Amino acid sequence: MFRLELRRLRVQPLAWVLLALSLAWLGWCFTRLLGDFLAGEIQRAALPDGPGYVDLVAVPLLGQLAQLAFLVVPLLAMSTLAGERRNGTLPLLFAAGLPASRIVLGKYAVLLLWLLAWLLLTLAMPLSLAHATTPDWGKLAAATLGIALMLAALAALAVAASTFTAHPAIAAAVALLLGLALWTVNLGAQMAGIDDGAINWLAMSTHEQNLLRGLVSTADILWFVLLIVVCLALATRRLAADKERG
Amino acid sequence: MTSVNASAPPVLQLDRLARRRAGRTAVQDLSLALPPGQVLGLLGVNGAGKSTTLAMIAGALRPDSGAIHLKGEDFLERPELARRLIGWLPERAPVWPELTVTEHLDAHGRLRGLAGTALRAARDATLARLELQPLARRLAGTLSQGQRQRLGLACALLHRPALLVLDEPANALDPVQVTVLRALIREQAAAGTAVILSTHVLVEVTAVCDRVAILHEGRLRHDGPVRADDHAALERRFFEIAMQGATLAAHAA
Repeated sequence: MFRLELRRLRVQPLAWVLLALSLAWLGWCFTRLLGDFLAGEIQRAALPDGPGYVDLVAVPLLGQLAQLAFLVVPLLAMSTLAGERRNGTLPLLFAAGLPASRIVLGKYAVLLLWLLAWLLLTLAMPLSLAHATTPDWGKLAAATLGIALMLAALAALAVAASTFTAHPAIAAAVALLLGLALWTVNLGAQMAGIDDGAINWLAMSTHEQNLLRGLVSTADILWFVLLIVVCLALATRRLAADKERG
Repeated sequence: MTSVNASAPPVLQLDRLARRRAGRTAVQDLSLALPPGQVLGLLGVNGAGKSTTLAMIAGALRPDSGAIHLKGEDFLERPELARRLIGWLPERAPVWPELTVTEHLDAHGRLRGLAGTALRAARDATLARLELQPLARRLAGTLSQGQRQRLGLACALLHRPALLVLDEPANALDPVQVTVLRALIREQAAAGTAVILSTHVLVEVTAVCDRVAILHEGRLRHDGPVRADDHAALERRFFEIAMQGATLAAHAA
């Protein structure tokens, strides 16, 4: 399943176009952030505990990637299972004796591989100048972990959305809306000045921002893991029900 | 025509198979056994339950009740048996449009447990047997319906299954390809493969099948041997069964 999906993704023009466009945008963001960083270097020299290269270049760049992910991940994942259903190839996978869980996990793993490559290519930009600065490696590692978890969660959400329809465009729209809803679910509470409670716990932004600030906590990691597990379990159940229903 | 080993244990055994679909009974109380080397023609009008039956046998659809045994093993308990024992060509031969013909065969081979040299050998032999070599590098999405049908057949045959399940395989094939298909089915049967062939073309049954089962409204209405020279008798029997339903419906109206 993994090799079949990898091959399918590799020959999809959309995957390459998304990769090229998003990296071009991130490259431009990187040069802009670097320019600002260099321009403010003299003022920051007067502040012993002022923000450094990671705070002003690397983390904001990863933040840009996170924003793009809301659009890129649904577009990339929309055909994973909706495409199989549209092509009529899903029964071929069932008839090969593959359990629904293996189909879902195979597709999810390939998606993760692509997203990991995307993250590493983005990370390569700030890392290419790391030797000339004194980066805060701990903060960079925490931010990278946060983005990796967020990508994995959005991918799981998009795969789940893709199992519920035969139309990839609908799957992409649903994944985009659900992703944005999860990010902004606590917007009202924050505007009212409420910083705790269930609504804030539910929001992806609460957990992501902690990690981007360099604060790694088990609770935040568990939130992402929980979301991934729930989405993949839903996708597996839906696919297994497809076999039952026909 | 036949190379059936009647004393051999059946490759496929269906016991009281039943399945509802879209709120109606698609298949009901279906029992039959298929020995190795036998070609069974599954006849029926549209909506008789042929494709549902074949999808259940292929492992793509779970029956509501009943049992399926493959070479004596419970298929519903062990769906992974499909991987090596069954080759399935569904109606309209679905493909992954972004893969080439060769990549399709490789993907199907891997899904069916083939790898390395065995996969390459099986792929090359199947490409040659189905005369698909000129299309080997073509994307499946650009193939004609007839070519897709041949690709689907190649995928079903690739791993030399013990049971070949063909759902209207002659769809979209030209007369020359139909002749090649018939020869291929007989060749498979001679090698010991049990074949189920669903069709609503009676000539197809008399040309290649050893035995015919007629489904009507999800029930098995006829199961018996086929004689190549007895096309008229089969046609009579088929219309008797098919028209019986139509007459009853007309009376009810």
